[in-house]
Amino acid sequence: MHRVLLPFEFAEPTTVRGALALIDGEKTRALAGGVDLVLRMRLRQVLPEKVVSLQKLPHLDYVRADDLGLAFGALASLRQLEASRAVREGWPLLAEAIGSIGSVQVKVQGTGVGNLCVGTPASDVAPALYALGARVRLTGLADEREIPIEEFFLDVGKTAVRPHELVTEIVVPRPPAGSGAAFMKLAKTSEDIAKVNVAVMVSVGDGAYADVSIALGSVAPTPLRAVEAESLLRMAPVGEAAGVGNPAGAAAANRVSPALEATGNPVSPGLEAAAQAAAQAAVPISDVRSTASYRKEMVRVLVKDALARATARALAGRSDVQAPGGVS
Amino acid sequence: MTKQIAAFTVNGAEREAIIEPHMLLIDVLRDQFALTGTKYACGTGDCGACTVLLDGKPSLSCLILAVTAIGKSILTIEGLAEGPELHPLQQSFVDEGAIQCGFCTPGMILSAKSLLDENPDPSLDEIRHALAGNLCRCTGYVAIFNAVQAAAAAMKTDSTGTEARP
Repeated sequence: MHRVLLPFEFAEPTTVRGALALIDGEKTRALAGGVDLVLRMRLRQVLPEKVVSLQKLPHLDYVRADDLGLAFGALASLRQLEASRAVREGWPLLAEAIGSIGSVQVKVQGTGVGNLCVGTPASDVAPALYALGARVRLTGLADEREIPIEEFFLDVGKTAVRPHELVTEIVVPRPPAGSGAAFMKLAKTSEDIAKVNVAVMVSVGDGAYADVSIALGSVAPTPLRAVEAESLLRMAPVGEAAGVGNPAGAAAANRVSPALEATGNPVSPGLEAAAQAAAQAAVPISDVRSTASYRKEMVRVLVKDALARATARALAGRSDVQAPGGVS
Repeated sequence: MTKQIAAFTVNGAEREAIIEPHMLLIDVLRDQFALTGTKYACGTGDCGACTVLLDGKPSLSCLILAVTAIGKSILTIEGLAEGPELHPLQQSFVDEGAIQCGFCTPGMILSAKSLLDENPDPSLDEIRHALAGNLCRCTGYVAIFNAVQAAAAAMKTDSTGTEARP
């Protein structure tokens, strides 16, 4: 850790076009909240010749919701998203994922888009957006394009953003009626990044899973969807799969921190099989936070618990999450 | 843009400093304005000791380029007391024994102030969430939560005018 940053050129454009013209490649970095960029500049992991602040770009700090979906701009802070009533009511999975980040300061400074643009598979925001089927809108000098979030993450620290291009907006469809979702994470402390995180969303209709999405973070070079696990559950009957009807299953909807103890309910074969398939999809590394085999095993546990919780929420018709502390 | 004379609004006053783009806000506050109440500790955004309020929001001055704070209102711990009279939060931290070594206190109090400005009557859980980004290694937090609750009560009394404070 270095106390002092090495010098760089600095620009603060006031139009998106102006910013795009300046962001010309590897040696140039875009600065949104700076939580990650300034830290990595101090660690001397990133030594840009030019830093282009996006903070003066107008009208990009919006969070908007309508019948079709949610859209938020490049400068919407994590705190704004977490505190947004529309997000808490309509996309509680996203609010829950952001709520797992402990520090208010980090959420005040950090942006949702910046969190994605870091390109880390340990992002808490990314699995939620994978499970919700979000799309990323990129603006270039000549054109705009919109890609599914799965195509945005390419490798550790590598995203689909090209030179002279910025992520200007994230678009998230509204979850179907009768759906429930859950985000769960295992980390050393609430300030540390995830060892494993999972986001799941299920839609239930006529006693069966109409749709299932399961996203995993921190267990591969990019976040990923556990596609096999999803197809195992799709059309499977809910009661059997979720062990619904036993009190522990219903209680799981409201547990505060069931990460490791929500499995008090008898193992339900459907969820267990899906959880095992999800663990198979994970290709984690061993590092200072965990071994690869532990991460794989925790994918199984967290996916099973998250599915049970999401199912219970879908059945209870409960789709909101509480306001974060301090937001009235 | 390289070296420039920049005007900052710090604790309600206009202050000028010669800055370069790579300077961090904490260094300008401490070294150029001699506002050493803002503490430097982890440098990675984990501990919250460097917290200041930027336009009222708790922000990590060790991860902010000073140049991006131009034009924003900066509040440091030095801006809280009015002359010899401590802010209710400062007073309650003293009264409740919420200070031991004191290193986390400026950041802790500023995070608490931001909370009370938004939500004058927070629950214990809301206080915990609001202070989650500020680490204390001495007091074990209980005294700190008590102090924030006491300050909230004192400030409510103030605003109803029964014990008016200028």
